[in-house]
Amino acid sequence: MRTLAEFPTLGTEQLSQLRRFIDGGFRSFSREYGETLERLFDPLREFLIFSERLMTQSPWPVVIGAIALIAWLASRSWKITLGTVLTLLAIGYFGMWIDTMKTISMIFVCTVVALALGLPIGIAMSRWDRLQRAINPVLDVMQTMPSFVYLIPVVMLLGIGRVAGMIAVVVYAIPPVIRFTNLGIRLVSKDLLEAADAFGASMWQKMFKVQLPLALPTIMAGINQTIMLSLAMVVIASMIGVQGLGQPVLKAIANQYFTMGMFNGLAIVGIAIIFDRVSQTYGKRLQKHLEVVHG
Amino acid sequence: MNNFPKLSLTLLAAVIALAACGKKEEPAAPAAAVESAAAQACGKVTVANMNWQSAEVLAHIDKLILSSGYGCEVELVPGDTMPTLTAMMEKGRPDVAPEAWINAVRQPLDAAVKQGRLHYAAESLKDGGVEGWWIPKYLADAHPEIKTIDDALKQPKLFPAPEVKDKGGIYNCPAGWNCQLTTGNAFKAWGAADKGFVLVNTGSAAGLDGSIAKAYERRQGWLGYYWAPTSILGKYQMVKLDAGVPFDKENFDACNSKADCDNPVKTDWAKAVVFTVVTDRFKQAGGPAFDYLSKRNWGNDTVNQLLAWMSDNQATGEDGARHFLKTQPEIWTTWVSPEVAEKVKASL
Repeated sequence: MRTLAEFPTLGTEQLSQLRRFIDGGFRSFSREYGETLERLFDPLREFLIFSERLMTQSPWPVVIGAIALIAWLASRSWKITLGTVLTLLAIGYFGMWIDTMKTISMIFVCTVVALALGLPIGIAMSRWDRLQRAINPVLDVMQTMPSFVYLIPVVMLLGIGRVAGMIAVVVYAIPPVIRFTNLGIRLVSKDLLEAADAFGASMWQKMFKVQLPLALPTIMAGINQTIMLSLAMVVIASMIGVQGLGQPVLKAIANQYFTMGMFNGLAIVGIAIIFDRVSQTYGKRLQKHLEVVHG
Repeated sequence: MNNFPKLSLTLLAAVIALAACGKKEEPAAPAAAVESAAAQACGKVTVANMNWQSAEVLAHIDKLILSSGYGCEVELVPGDTMPTLTAMMEKGRPDVAPEAWINAVRQPLDAAVKQGRLHYAAESLKDGGVEGWWIPKYLADAHPEIKTIDDALKQPKLFPAPEVKDKGGIYNCPAGWNCQLTTGNAFKAWGAADKGFVLVNTGSAAGLDGSIAKAYERRQGWLGYYWAPTSILGKYQMVKLDAGVPFDKENFDACNSKADCDNPVKTDWAKAVVFTVVTDRFKQAGGPAFDYLSKRNWGNDTVNQLLAWMSDNQATGEDGARHFLKTQPEIWTTWVSPEVAEKVKASL
């Protein structure tokens, strides 16, 4: 009966030996290759710092104007553009301008990196079933593994700061864009592909002239989710020294500053809504445009 | 036959419920009657299990000793300095905060003690908590000329900042902690910015620890805020830089520990006083268990050693507590009576 009541486990000795072995292995790896890895990420670090400088040091009317212009070009909606401007003005008025700019710049770079990596991976997955089977579990791990678990090794390898934060954000935010790109391309109707074949389209022509354009609305939904998820990671990233709206939120959590937490939390929500509405309407506009052509 | 276990379970539940409802003095439930007189006096105790290692292991030591030595029914509840002490002041729960760093909450706490709602028991850490700016030991050995903060600030190249080229970096305390303010003000007071340093945001304790671990594994320079007793300092040997000036209480309280301090002064950090804080209910009801809590204290060397052992073995607070009770009876047996010590030893 005892063997049933108590789960048979590895002995404490072996367990702690295993832990020490893995820890030791990782430590010597970090000692050996940490410098090189860090050097490898230097260009990204520069990019992150450059983009943050650009956002924080440009005069605020220019920044608001630029963001409003992007919002208008993407959505072509006065309501959304006006809402964007008002939200940014309110954020600035409540004294969160610099932090917000730092956060937006971080999210911007993270999204760019996530797209640059995620789109090709998604496309490749849609072409090869075996690759899809291999990558899907990896994506599951990336989405469910608690971030702090991989923050420890990342910090050990790259030190605290923007690059480590960016990796944490990208790991968490990249799965939707990969999944949606894969799905979108796979959902393109077989008849259309046959038609393309019949016209003698090459593989690349099929990809860029048929599959990708038709998958675009789905891909946009993935991009939208990626942006949202990277915003959700702002506070976690700030726990390893990333500047921005996460820092005051941490401060508020540590000291039970209700108002401070609320304001900065709402600022994150504000940015999220701007990004969400703009990218969604852009996706919808693409869809409309496509329906006119193919409908 | 089939009904028997269910019935007995229901009966047992009823007995427990009755026992819980009954007054403390009544030896109502037969189960409780078996326990000694001390057990009835002690009863149910909630102990705050603070979210840092030294407090966690102390909470587990208290749990082991109180439950096996004094027959208390101990429940550990997670906690953090401010929330736990506030809850103790306002709600009278949890009963015991084994390791309360009271410097930051001195005023409301003293008021609560004066009103008799809370009581100080033993000074848990007899050396107190030490805060300050530290550098790794290998760096101190290689550069014996660096003894004080001023010495270190002369050599920004030794302590490269992670994200700013050609600047030295001082790793700050996690966001929102009081030490973030004191370190920021010390940074100003020592004029570190003019000496080629920047203040590095670490965000959280995990970030701060990670930066130390990373520097240590690669034998890089590191300069920043830390405090003892901690497992990090047991694991990675660090040397505390001398502030070169004594603790200036007046200016520290008035300015250096505040967010909007225009003219911070150079001052050492105060030795943090670390007490065991208990509620009035527990002091009245605890009897001999309260006596134990008013004797129980240990030194930083013991704690650092134990925490380093825990880190090496990735042991939990409970593992650490058991390890300590097994290997260092010469320390803890002085806290309790010989009979209690026997009971505790028997339970290990």
